[in-house]
Amino acid sequence: MKTFDIAFKDLMRSLRTPFALVMMFGAPLLITALLYFAFGSLVGDGDRFDLQSIRVKVANLDQPGAQDGLAAGQMLVEFLQSEDLADLLEVSIAPDESSARMAVDGQQADVAVIIPQDFTAAVFAPNREEAVNLYSDPTLTIGPGIVEDLVRQFIDGFAGAKIAAGVVAEQVEERGVAVDMRVTQDAAMQYAHWQESSGHDHAQAEGGSIILETRSPSGAPSGDQESGGQGSGMMGRIMAGMMIYFAFFMGALSAESIIREDEEGTLERLFTTPTSQAAILGGKFAAIVLTLVVQIVVLLVAARLIFGIGWGKPLPIALVTLGLIVAAAGFGVLLMSFVKTTRQTGPIMGGVLTLTGLLGGLFISGVPNLPEAFDTVRLSMPQGWALHAWELTLNGAGVGEVLVPVVVLLGLGALFFGAGVILFRKRFA
Amino acid sequence: MRLVDIALKDLLQIIRDWKSALFMVVMPILFTVFFGLVFSPSSVDGDPRLPVGFVNQDQEGNLVGRLQELLENSDIVRPVSLEADEATRMDEMLRDGDLAAALVVQVGYSQQAFAGEDPSLTVVADLSTTSGQTAHSGIETAVSRLRSAVETAHISAETFDEQEGFESERGRQAYLQEAVDLAIAEWKQPPLRVDVERATGGATPEAEAPSGFAQSSPGMMVQFAIFGLITSAMVLVLERKSGALKRLLTTPINRTTVIGGHVLAMFTVVFLQQITLAVFGQFVFGVNYVRAPLATLSMMMTLALWAASLGLLIGAVSKREEQVITWSLIAMFVFASLGGAWFPLEVAGEAFTTIGKITPSAWAMDGLQNIVVRGQGLNSVLLPAGILLAYAAVFFGLAVWRFRFE
Repeated sequence: MKTFDIAFKDLMRSLRTPFALVMMFGAPLLITALLYFAFGSLVGDGDRFDLQSIRVKVANLDQPGAQDGLAAGQMLVEFLQSEDLADLLEVSIAPDESSARMAVDGQQADVAVIIPQDFTAAVFAPNREEAVNLYSDPTLTIGPGIVEDLVRQFIDGFAGAKIAAGVVAEQVEERGVAVDMRVTQDAAMQYAHWQESSGHDHAQAEGGSIILETRSPSGAPSGDQESGGQGSGMMGRIMAGMMIYFAFFMGALSAESIIREDEEGTLERLFTTPTSQAAILGGKFAAIVLTLVVQIVVLLVAARLIFGIGWGKPLPIALVTLGLIVAAAGFGVLLMSFVKTTRQTGPIMGGVLTLTGLLGGLFISGVPNLPEAFDTVRLSMPQGWALHAWELTLNGAGVGEVLVPVVVLLGLGALFFGAGVILFRKRFA
Repeated sequence: MRLVDIALKDLLQIIRDWKSALFMVVMPILFTVFFGLVFSPSSVDGDPRLPVGFVNQDQEGNLVGRLQELLENSDIVRPVSLEADEATRMDEMLRDGDLAAALVVQVGYSQQAFAGEDPSLTVVADLSTTSGQTAHSGIETAVSRLRSAVETAHISAETFDEQEGFESERGRQAYLQEAVDLAIAEWKQPPLRVDVERATGGATPEAEAPSGFAQSSPGMMVQFAIFGLITSAMVLVLERKSGALKRLLTTPINRTTVIGGHVLAMFTVVFLQQITLAVFGQFVFGVNYVRAPLATLSMMMTLALWAASLGLLIGAVSKREEQVITWSLIAMFVFASLGGAWFPLEVAGEAFTTIGKITPSAWAMDGLQNIVVRGQGLNSVLLPAGILLAYAAVFFGLAVWRFRFE
């Protein structure tokens, strides 16, 4: 009973301390909320990023001859300005190449499309090559990549017609048949018709492609089964990372109360009472566990309600929660057992927990497809095992699948706890 | 002179505390290394193209080799042939990041394509990731060009048929295959192409993407300029708690000198931290800060001034040590994320980016990246540095307004 009283008193003290409350609930929810705000569009509908408009500056230097019959450069400009791309691109025209480049240098545009002077001529003349130049802001990758794709798709249409005409001429001529201009023009026209009908089919196709059927890798994090989408899976992993980091932080901060009470002399006074030393220390350790139970339960529920994160099946969640609590409490007790005064606790907690959290992958939990080496590194840390266990439950894993990481967490927690208790007992012997 | 004395006293107090080195130098370097490695473009044997698993189930097909050639020729992706046993682990390899995407060529693909049936291919990719989307786009380009080559072959065969006619079906097939080969050869160096140039002004060598450190080094400089305030703002709170601030007022030193001395100390601490991190970034991570020394110096000074004003504000509103830590952490999380210190704002949603771009940390990132990524000079940092100065003035004004000596 006295053990429980001590544990309850420490828990209430934590819940009345603004700093502890910020660390328990405020910080993990704030960071996840910031990232939710940043990538919220990904969490919503669909599985593609909802991109900002890409600012494109076009310098059309193309000067088609009267005999060409079309202006390829102008067609490219109209394609980029088309209604279909209006949500994606914000196109404006530059009078010349240097203004387009200056717009990118001055961050007025994300990418400049510079259409060369002889673009149309190169479309028609055999054996003539030409390049459309893209000049992009080097701090950006997604926007310029999309513009590059669009321009490439467009000019591949012309290039294909040109190649078709060239291949026809070469093959037919090689077989001793004279080829006149009309034959190659017919070939290019035939190709253009095919391209047009193919492009039409492409636009009609569900998912935007008739040539590729795309599926996601099986077992890829899908996150919330109810809200769906890869984005909620990412938010789940981010929240799990933050929850683990701050659970380990609270494990250590709660264990710090032993050092504080020792420093303030209240612990020594407690030892003079009829309560046994084991009961007092037991109460202190129970307080750590109680604090973590409250913290993790609140965070799981809050993340579910605020961010719509579906944590998985109830039993695996309970097991992983237990594993996390034991590991975080054990780690906190061991860490504090090395600390002599409360002045040392801040840097030791900050330094050790940030370093082990960093190696455990807690700060990059939302980054997909990391190299395998990172997996190896993170599993050398208890935080890495905890993250692995939460990733499994987020993917809807069953009890059998989470058993190994949970057992590892329990084992590590017991080991840390045992070592910490021995060190504390020695100190207070 | 008394102002300098107070600043020197604070500096000594901060330097003597070993925690300062941990929070202000060791941790930012560790974070820079870690995030720099995570966000660096992956490359195998110097090949920065994204690996795409290639599963050939159309063993007899004569188009598969051509498709593989087109993928080999891509600037974006490189095919990695997967044998039958590896193909069964394809999804796992995608999840682990060993592959950015995978392409499966089904049995009979070549035959159907030659017959003009326009069969589709299967791509396995996580389109919620940038690498998945980019790899998908690279595959789509290669497959489109293969289809184009097949169509070219049909057009050429039809033309020849009209002019001369084939003697046999075998002759026709050989003609078609030759046409595909010719067209593929052309597609490897298309007559019309897209050339991409990054506006780096020589900050990074041509054709080389900026490394992950070009994001993580300035990013962590901004983040830890705020985080490092914990120790310097703490000095202020401890002086207030111990009554030292109040006692100072009984001496001939006026209030302005006391506040100025503390701000000068905070500025010096952050500025020295910036120099240390920039030197480390320059010589260890190859982030080119010295290419425009005046510009770099301007950014570091204005960033340090803003951070010092923020530190003074935190010191002014905090009554206890825990409050300093709490406010510093909150400021760090908010300014670092919104300002693009953790990830480029480009990848975030529109509302986040719009708000983010107003923050002082975003202007600090912008100014630093103008130097190290965009390769620009002093002119390019005048606006970011000016805005940081304005923010420093606002935060300083707020701090002085809220400042209490007891």
